[in-house]
Amino acid sequence: MAAGEPWASLLGAVHTLITVCDSVVIVYFLAINTSYLVLILIALGEFVRTLRRAPFAGHDEAATSPLTPPVSVIMPAHNQAAGIAEAVRAMLLLRYPEFEVVVVDDGSTDGTLDALREAFDLAEVEYVVPDDIPVRGRVTSVHLPRGGPVRLVVARKDNGGKADALNVGINLARYPLVCMVDADSILDSQALLAVAKPFCDDPQRVVASGGVVGLANGCTVVAGRVVEARVPPDLLGRVQVVEYLRAFLLGRTGWSKLGSLLIIAGAFGLFRKDAVVAVGGMDPDCIGEDAELVIRLHKHMREQGRDYRIVFVAEPISWSEAPSQRKVLAHQRRRWHRGLTEILLKHRRMIGNPRYGRIGLLALPFYVVFELLAPLVELAGLVLVPLGVLMGAVDADFLWRFLVVAYVYAVVVGMVSVAVEEYAFHRFTRWRDVWGGLVGVVAENIGYRQLTAWWRLRGMWDGLRRSPQVWGAMTRAGFDSPGQVTEKGGDRA
Amino acid sequence: MISAGIVRGALLILLAVVLVLGLLIVGNRLVRRHRERRRERIAAPVRGSLLQLLCAEEDEQTELLNRLAETDRRTWAALEPTLTALLGKVAGGARTALVRLYELRGAAVDAVADLSSRSAARRGRAAQVLGQLSHRPAAPSLCRLLADHDPEVRLAATRALGRCGGPEAVSYLLEALHGPRAVPPAAVTRALVSLGPEAQRSVATGLEHPQPLARAVAIEVLGATGVVSRTSEIARALREDPQIEVRVKAARALGRLGMPEGLEPLLAAVRPGQPVALRMVGAGALGTLGAVAATGPLAELLGDPDRHVAATAARALLQIGPEGRAELQAAADDSGGPAAAQARAVLAESAVGAARDDVRAEVAL
Repeated sequence: MAAGEPWASLLGAVHTLITVCDSVVIVYFLAINTSYLVLILIALGEFVRTLRRAPFAGHDEAATSPLTPPVSVIMPAHNQAAGIAEAVRAMLLLRYPEFEVVVVDDGSTDGTLDALREAFDLAEVEYVVPDDIPVRGRVTSVHLPRGGPVRLVVARKDNGGKADALNVGINLARYPLVCMVDADSILDSQALLAVAKPFCDDPQRVVASGGVVGLANGCTVVAGRVVEARVPPDLLGRVQVVEYLRAFLLGRTGWSKLGSLLIIAGAFGLFRKDAVVAVGGMDPDCIGEDAELVIRLHKHMREQGRDYRIVFVAEPISWSEAPSQRKVLAHQRRRWHRGLTEILLKHRRMIGNPRYGRIGLLALPFYVVFELLAPLVELAGLVLVPLGVLMGAVDADFLWRFLVVAYVYAVVVGMVSVAVEEYAFHRFTRWRDVWGGLVGVVAENIGYRQLTAWWRLRGMWDGLRRSPQVWGAMTRAGFDSPGQVTEKGGDRA
Repeated sequence: MISAGIVRGALLILLAVVLVLGLLIVGNRLVRRHRERRRERIAAPVRGSLLQLLCAEEDEQTELLNRLAETDRRTWAALEPTLTALLGKVAGGARTALVRLYELRGAAVDAVADLSSRSAARRGRAAQVLGQLSHRPAAPSLCRLLADHDPEVRLAATRALGRCGGPEAVSYLLEALHGPRAVPPAAVTRALVSLGPEAQRSVATGLEHPQPLARAVAIEVLGATGVVSRTSEIARALREDPQIEVRVKAARALGRLGMPEGLEPLLAAVRPGQPVALRMVGAGALGTLGAVAATGPLAELLGDPDRHVAATAARALLQIGPEGRAELQAAADDSGGPAAAQARAVLAESAVGAARDDVRAEVAL
C-alpha cells in the first residue's frame, strides 16, 4: 500500500495534467476557428462595402492621369531562364501611366540574363548604383534595352538571396513607389492600378499596400495573364485554394480592416521607397523578409509617432503557383514557419507592448498564439487526446462527439470562405470548380492540417535553433504555355 | 466538462449552418446567372437602337433618343450598365447623345436628389454620374459634398467637380485640402487641372493661401497647365516659401513653364545646403527648362555627395542638348571619381538609345 501510493499520486497527477491539456486543446481548436470566422466576417463587411462603392472608385481616372505616382516594379530572379522573358514582357504590359521594371538577376547559373538579353536586346552599360540601402552581393553589371523606350533595367549581382536582390532593386529604383513582385507571379493587367489606389487616395498616410495572391494552379494562362481561373483538379491543390481563400484573402482583409496587417506577400506588394529606405530595406538574414519588413515599418512608424496606414487591397489581382507535390509543399511550409518564428523572435519586444498599439497588443499576440504555436498545440492534441481516452481522463463518447463538432465547425469556416468568394468575386465560372472548392473544404481537416502542422513544427525548430539558411535551391521552370504550371518551393503567398 | 447535450446541440446547429451555406453558394450562383441572362434578354431588343444612336448624325438622333428614353424601367435598368460603361469610353457626338439620353430619362435630376441621400454609396454614385454627365448645375451641390463625412464620397465629388465645375469651385477644392475632412492633394490637383483655362485666375489666388498644401497644389496646377504669366510668383515661392513641399512644387513648375525667370531661383535651389529633395527636383527642372546657362552649375553637381542629386544632374545635362552633352563628355574624360562615373553612366545609357527624353525627378513628400 505504502509502496503504491507514490505511483497512485503520480498517475493521478498525470491524469489531471492530461485532462487539463485536453481541455486546452479543445478550447484552442474552438478559439482558432472562431478567430478565423471573425476575420472572415470582418472581411465580408469590407467586401460588401467595396462592391457597393466600386462604381465610383475612380480606377479609370488613375489609369490615365499623369499625376498618378510612378512605380518601380522590382523583380528578383534566380535561375528562372525558362519563364523570365515572358514574365518581364507581361509586366511591361501592365496598365499604369508610368512605371519601370527593374529585374535583379541574383547570380543565376542557368542563363537567366542571357534569356533577357535575347528577348529585349539588352546592352551592358556603365551604371552608378545608389547606396541607399547596404547590400551584400556586388552588382556586376547593369543592362538596358537598345534603342527603344522600353522602361527596363536589368542588374546582375552576386548571389545573396532574394532580400539582398530586392535591396539592390530598391537602390536602382527611380520612382517614389516600389512594387516587389516575384518573377513567377502573374499579375492581372489592372494589378498595379489596384494596389496603387490606396497611395492615390491617401498619399500622406499609406506606406505600403499588398495585393491578393490567388493560386495559378489549373488556371488558363495566356501571354502571362490568367484568362480563366480554375480550381486545380488534384486534392492538394483544392485544399490549398480553400486555405489561400481563408487565410490570405479573407484573413488579411480582416486584419487590414482592423489596422493590423502584418504580412504583405513577397509575391506582390507596393511600398513607399522612402519608408523602406528609412527602415534599412529588406533583412537578408530573415527568411520571411516580406513580413519582417512590414513589421519593421509598423515599428518605425509607431516609434516616430507617425499617422500611417498599411493596407490590403481585397481584389484578386495576382496569381502564384502553389506546390502540387507533397515534398515541395513540406519545404514551403517549413520555410514559412521558420520565417514566422524568426520574425517573432526578432521583434519579441513588440509583443504585448502597448507602445505599438494594435500591432503589439492584438496582431502579434494573435500570431504567437494562433499561428506560431498552432502546430505545437495541434500535434500535442493528436497525442494527448487519445492518451486521455486510454487513461480514462476523457470520456470517449464525449470525445468523438466533440471531434465531429470541431470538424464540422472547421468545415463551416471553410464553407464561409467559399461562400464569400462566390458572393464577392465569383472568379470560378464552372460548377466543377465550386465542387472542387467544397471538396477542398472537407478534405482540409483530414490529414492535410495535421501534415502541415508537422512541417510547420519542424520549421519552428529550425528557427529556434537558427539552423543555416539555404538560398537559391528552389525549383522553378516557369509558365511556358497556356495552362502550364510547374513547381516552386517557398515564397510566401 | 461540457455536457453531451450541448455538444449534440452544437453539432445539429453546425450541420444546419453547413446546409444553409451550401444552399447559399449554389443559390447565389444560380440567381446571378439567371439575372445576367435576364438582363441580356431584356436589353437585346434595344441594343440595336443604342448602337444606331451612337453612330447617328445629330439630326437623326431625336427619334432614337425618344425611343430609348421611353423604355420601361426594367429595360432601362438592364441597359444602364452598358450605358455607364460607354459614357466613359466614347467622345464627341456619341457622348453628347448619351448625355442627352440620360437627361431625357431624368438621370441627372435623380442624381442631384441622391446627393443628399443618407447612403454614402448612393451619394458617391450620384456624384460619379453627375461628373460623367458634366452636369454643371450640380456644381454647388458637389462643392458641399467636398465636406462629406465619407472620404470616398469626398473623392467622388472632387473628381466630378473636375468634370462639371467652373472657377467658382476652385476655392472649395483648395479649402478641401485641409481640415478633418480633407481630400488628397493629387485628387484636387487633377480636378483643378481638368477645370481648364477659365479657372486659372481662381487657381492663382491659391498662391497666397495660408495653408502650405493649398499653395503647393495651386503651384502644381499652374505649372501643369502652363500658366506662364504666373512665373514670377512661382519663382518667389521657390525662393521664399517657408515650406519645403511648396518649394519643391515650385521648382518642378518652373521647369515645366520653361520661362527664363525660372533660371536664377532654380540655380539657387540646387546649391549645397538646400534640402536634398529640393536640389534633386531643382536639377531635374533645370534640365526640363533647357537653359544652356545651367550647364556649368549642373556639371558641378555631377560630383555631389548625394548620388540621386548627381544622377539627376547628369540626366538634366543630357536633356539640355549638345552643350550639356559636351559637359558630360568633359566630365567623363576626367581622371575619374564619382562625377566621371555619373557622366559615363548617362552617356552610356544615351549611346544604347535607352536614355529617357525627360528628367522625372521624383521625391516623396
